Amino acid sequence: MMICRTEVCKDRKARFKQITNHPYFGFFIITFLMLIVQLLRVTGVPVSNTLIRAFGITMIYIIIALGFSILLGYAGLASLGTAGFVGIGTYILGYFTKNLEASIFIVILVSILGAIVIGLIVGFISLRIEGMYLAIITLGLSEILNEVFKNAVSITNGTNGLGLDSQLIIFKNLIFINHNTIFIFTAIIMFVMMILTLNLIKSPTGRALLAMRNSTSAAQAMGVSILKYRLMAFIVSTVYAMLGGVIYMSYISFSIPTTWSLAFSLNILAAVIVGGSQSIYGIVLGTFMIFGLNLGVFQQFDFFKENPAISVMFNGLLIILVIMFYPGGLIRLVTTTYYKLKNALAKLKMKWRNYRYGSDN
Amino acid sequence: MFDTTGFWKDIFIFILVLVVVYILLKTFTLKYFKNKDRAKTIGLNIFLVLGILYLFYRIYRVIYDNFPDFATMFMMTNIVNQALQVSVLALATTGIVLIFKTSATTNFAQGMIATFGAFFSAKMIQYFALNYTDMTVTTMVFLAMIGGAITAFLFGVFVDAVIIRNSKDKSPIGKQMITMGLVLVLAGAMPLIFGKILLPIPKMSYEPNIAFKLFGIDLFITVHAYYALIITVVLLVILFSMLRFTKWGLGVRATASNELVAGMMGVNTKVITSMSWAIAGLLGAVAAVMLTPNATNVTVALMTPTQVNAFMAAILGSFSSFLGPLVATILIPVLTGLLSLIVPLWQNAVVYLIILAVVLVKPMGLFGKKIAKKV
Repeated sequence: MMICRTEVCKDRKARFKQITNHPYFGFFIITFLMLIVQLLRVTGVPVSNTLIRAFGITMIYIIIALGFSILLGYAGLASLGTAGFVGIGTYILGYFTKNLEASIFIVILVSILGAIVIGLIVGFISLRIEGMYLAIITLGLSEILNEVFKNAVSITNGTNGLGLDSQLIIFKNLIFINHNTIFIFTAIIMFVMMILTLNLIKSPTGRALLAMRNSTSAAQAMGVSILKYRLMAFIVSTVYAMLGGVIYMSYISFSIPTTWSLAFSLNILAAVIVGGSQSIYGIVLGTFMIFGLNLGVFQQFDFFKENPAISVMFNGLLIILVIMFYPGGLIRLVTTTYYKLKNALAKLKMKWRNYRYGSDN
Repeated sequence: MFDTTGFWKDIFIFILVLVVVYILLKTFTLKYFKNKDRAKTIGLNIFLVLGILYLFYRIYRVIYDNFPDFATMFMMTNIVNQALQVSVLALATTGIVLIFKTSATTNFAQGMIATFGAFFSAKMIQYFALNYTDMTVTTMVFLAMIGGAITAFLFGVFVDAVIIRNSKDKSPIGKQMITMGLVLVLAGAMPLIFGKILLPIPKMSYEPNIAFKLFGIDLFITVHAYYALIITVVLLVILFSMLRFTKWGLGVRATASNELVAGMMGVNTKVITSMSWAIAGLLGAVAAVMLTPNATNVTVALMTPTQVNAFMAAILGSFSSFLGPLVATILIPVLTGLLSLIVPLWQNAVVYLIILAVVLVKPMGLFGKKIAKKV
């Protein structure tokens, strides 16, 4: 290992540390790793379509899970309505581009507005109903939305599913249909969403949410308005979910009501729980464990392709084991092992030094 | 197919009138009552019942406008047709409420544990049908039902004793997540364990329908639904009398009110919770076996709609009582059946919306009492 003695070198090292210690550095690395697959393909390395698709879908799910983690990990509100909200996002994009030929910016604007309205409604419900009742009521809402997806045939094309064959329009003439561009677009949005989430969590709003999670009464006594922050948590989470839906539709180009069922909500919940609901890296890890592993790795083998039930079982087992033994999520396991290894290494180093140069006493 | 003009307008106006009258009554007459909270809840209950009755009346009017000659018969037949759904839902809901009482968590895996039992029953029926060809359908299904119920019973004990009890996260939400994980595990495991089910579970009997008279109207009920109703009533009567008269029931009630204190007073809370998980599984399995002939074959998603409905019933009737959810279990299928005449395809969404509205007015459910919480 090179040892720094000159001023220039020390300065360079300090600057490097400044970059690596920056809170956004990790997010950048994650986004970069995601993009590598796509870049490899551009340079000519044969990367299978399914692998790229797996990465793309995982990124979309990370966005949705980030929104859900604000709700579950920070505001302490268990909701099972995610699937319905994501579904609305997909159908908004489908309907607006297919029937009205709207530009994607208008679609995003509409979906955010819709998300605010729905978030407000669910937030007001959450003021009356708490805890596990809320999970069931949001499940009911999701079921209502699913019925709407199935029966409002003129908008959603019913149980046949809505395919997106027309091209996505950005501005009047710019056309934006290439899957590769959408992949990069998704990666950038994921990066931005991670930064937004971090800033939200570290801001007074995030602290207020955490206080509310631990004890509503204590938070109220400290001047945290339950009304304001519950509504806010639901609105933010719904916006993330709907945005996820819009990106999902633009990437997959197909949406069918059976996707937006209870299982989808449970899987998102599983991702957040398995990774660790209070850490952004945890959510990335959890989403990879639940979706990425299955889509990217297991689907490459014929055995898992023939028995899709096994990966479902694996997800369930992961959830149960994580809650049974690591309630903080897998990210806590990762960090504790990291620090343990660090301590062990330091001890070894000390021992070696003592052996080499003789101990202090 | 039905002419439903004015249906929604009338209901909307009626609800508006109810709300206005309630607010007026509350502002002007509440001060004359001694116990204001009690007066408020009783008033709310009366208005909710009025609303539900009006809904039924309006549905009746729609049927009457279209078929004036046999409107009553049409409506009664529709209600009686829901007998099987009601009995299945009643069993599933009671299981969920029982677990909520003792473990303070909502069991999302109730339906899956029940389906596990139903899969076992289907396997048993396959075995019987191949090896004992002279067996009648009724005995076959009954034996299979008992087998499935025992499987689900043991599985319930396993879930509580091995998974829930050893979990580090013992908060209600943590337990809820475990049951959600269990849903995924069972959904993946059941096709692997049981393989392909070749034979569907038959109805309990294929005899001709039973005719009976109610209020002077001739009605029919299938023998299958009739048996299902009898089994449900017997099981629920046994369960409720156990809850009321045995030591186990006393233990359940003690654990429901406070698990820690119950443990200190010498109640073996571990056995109590395991038993309630087991009994919930048993009730669910019986419900699943009774439901299967309607769904033609045992599949993983067999109990999912029932599960959602059971949650809704428990929310509507309140988790804190046993009888409230039972009323809700009758109300939900009947309303769904009747609304399917008026808003075909949308009946479930409308029923869920009604439940949502009721729960928003009364967060603890129709029969729930507000529990004062210590900070």
